[in-house]
Amino acid sequence: MDILINALDQMLAPATAAFAIAAIGLNFHFGLTGLLNMGQAGFMLLGMYGYAISIREGLPMWAGILVAIGVAMVFGLLLGWPTLKLRGDYLAIVTIAAAEIVRYVGRSNSLIDITGGSLGIKGNDYKDPLESLSPFPDERITIGPLTYHGSASDSWWLRVVAWTLVAALLVIFWRLSNSPWGRVLKGIREDEDAVRALGKSVYWYKMQALIIGGVIGALGGIIWAHGSAVVADSMGRPTTFWIWTILLMGGAATVFGPVLGSVLFWSALSLVRAVSKAFIPESILPSTAIEPFGLMLVGTALILIVVFRPQGILGNKRELAFHA
Amino acid sequence: MRIELDKRFLRAAALLLIAAAAFIGATFIFGSGSAAAGTVEPVPPGTSTSTLLVQNVINGLAFGVLLALASVGLSLIYGTTGLSNFAHGEQVTFGALLAFFLTTDQPVSIPLVPGTFTIGLPLWLGAILAVIIAGGTGWLQDRFLWNPLRRRRVAVLQQMIVSIGLSLALLNLLQWWMGARRVRLTASSGDRITFGNFYIGTQTLMSVVIAAIALLAVALFLLKTRRGRATRAISDNPALAAASGIRVDGIIRLVWVMAAALAGLGGILLALFDQGVGFDSGARILLLMFAAVTLGGLGQAFGALVGALVVGVVAEVSTVIIAPDMRYASALGILILVLLVRPQGILGRKERVG
Repeated sequence: MDILINALDQMLAPATAAFAIAAIGLNFHFGLTGLLNMGQAGFMLLGMYGYAISIREGLPMWAGILVAIGVAMVFGLLLGWPTLKLRGDYLAIVTIAAAEIVRYVGRSNSLIDITGGSLGIKGNDYKDPLESLSPFPDERITIGPLTYHGSASDSWWLRVVAWTLVAALLVIFWRLSNSPWGRVLKGIREDEDAVRALGKSVYWYKMQALIIGGVIGALGGIIWAHGSAVVADSMGRPTTFWIWTILLMGGAATVFGPVLGSVLFWSALSLVRAVSKAFIPESILPSTAIEPFGLMLVGTALILIVVFRPQGILGNKRELAFHA
Repeated sequence: MRIELDKRFLRAAALLLIAAAAFIGATFIFGSGSAAAGTVEPVPPGTSTSTLLVQNVINGLAFGVLLALASVGLSLIYGTTGLSNFAHGEQVTFGALLAFFLTTDQPVSIPLVPGTFTIGLPLWLGAILAVIIAGGTGWLQDRFLWNPLRRRRVAVLQQMIVSIGLSLALLNLLQWWMGARRVRLTASSGDRITFGNFYIGTQTLMSVVIAAIALLAVALFLLKTRRGRATRAISDNPALAAASGIRVDGIIRLVWVMAAALAGLGGILLALFDQGVGFDSGARILLLMFAAVTLGGLGQAFGALVGALVVGVVAEVSTVIIAPDMRYASALGILILVLLVRPQGILGRKERVG
């Protein structure tokens, strides 16, 4: 029973919402446009830094969000400028390299006064503005089997904000993907040359998709930061790969794919951990090995999904973006 | 095969050889005897920037040669199959950890098998065995994963994401196997050879010499043997190669074995150079390997060499200006800059890559 409650807790957690948001951003890149952005964690990290540093330096909350968005836009422009004219795997290598640059710079000791080095920025420095907006009482509240604080840190309030944002972004994705603009993006995904022949600027449309998805990733980063802390190493390459797993599992180019993927990913990870702890003896699977064991299954799941059901759970095989 | 192509390969090989020769020659000409590590600090604080610069270039070239060895396989695989193999970093780590597993006198274990045991082979034997077993994993991978995917005509981008999944799975398998600790292949940190104001570790020198020999062997294989020519032909044009009677699948199998074995050897030598290896050592340098391969020209076997030397030198030299913990960032920055002006890479053919 505890195992199921833990899984339920993971389903609703702010981290799950944050990854769903990042995967919605990636859905703009990969699902709609077919761009291989392997640096979504970099966008998230920049969003976190932009927001947390602005708040720490005394800017109001809206300004912090604007800074995060602005930083992600600039990052997207910089990445897209050299690579969007090149073959898809160049974008993949450049985005993953750039995301790693952000992480290396962020965790470097030489910028410790700004980014906090490898220890990062403490939650107290930036969580206040959002938490002070909370309408919930300042105490622990129990609903059904779940108990969280009303407004501080990993709270009911953060859950409400995070999932509202997810819902809003889903509506935006749904409207945009069915708009004339979204149809151009899908056209680029299916056949770039055909769209170019229609007189559209493929380069500029790709750039727009890259920037919008990246900004959404940065928003996901802000939500993640409120659930835990701003630490560069939590946004390394594995994070980007998890977001890909989430998107591909749920189904690329679908509206609900990222959310379904994120909920399944995190609850399944929690279930694997709990079940292997409870049923596999210590001599075969020591407790230190449970975390790697779970993540090894994630990697295996990613392989199996891509090979056997590349369209994901909700996807449509005809809307598949894997054209080299 | 056009003559012009061979010239380019030769030029690259010559470049490497000159660099390696100069490097080794300088060590012996200036080498005035070795000092135990730590007792004499050859670069005292306050040394002039130019001295520091030369020392960093030396370190960078050494790192570059080792990086080249680790990334040649990545380049060969890309050239023959079009796959950007994200699991190559784990292949590098695997070689080093396997060598540790075979040679250490500490008790070791295998996942899912209860109990511990020691093997404790001598390092040279353990290293050779590790390279052979690493090559075997390349064979297994191609036999049971990549070849079936190619047969099913799975798109290259899809295969790339499969390799990402494989990389995640292997990384965590390695962590499960060895834990999060950092292990060393040798107990001693080795002596240093000093020459003038500069120094190089004997272990590093040995590693670089072994790496240079291995790279030379790869170059001779590609240039002089029938199979090497077939490999280059497939890189050039797989359909034409198949039509002229080359067994494409067999050659690709061979390339996978070579790539995995070279990555394993590179991992062992890098572990000696870095004086330690952890489960994520290969993952850390994966992007530097990609940078090397892309810089040199995707799919150009010798491009990886040139690219790796550039990456190694840039990473080390940039520490003169920026903080040492950001040195990998500068190497990746160079990658992005080069893509801006010369997307096909240094040795790449001028063609549309869009």
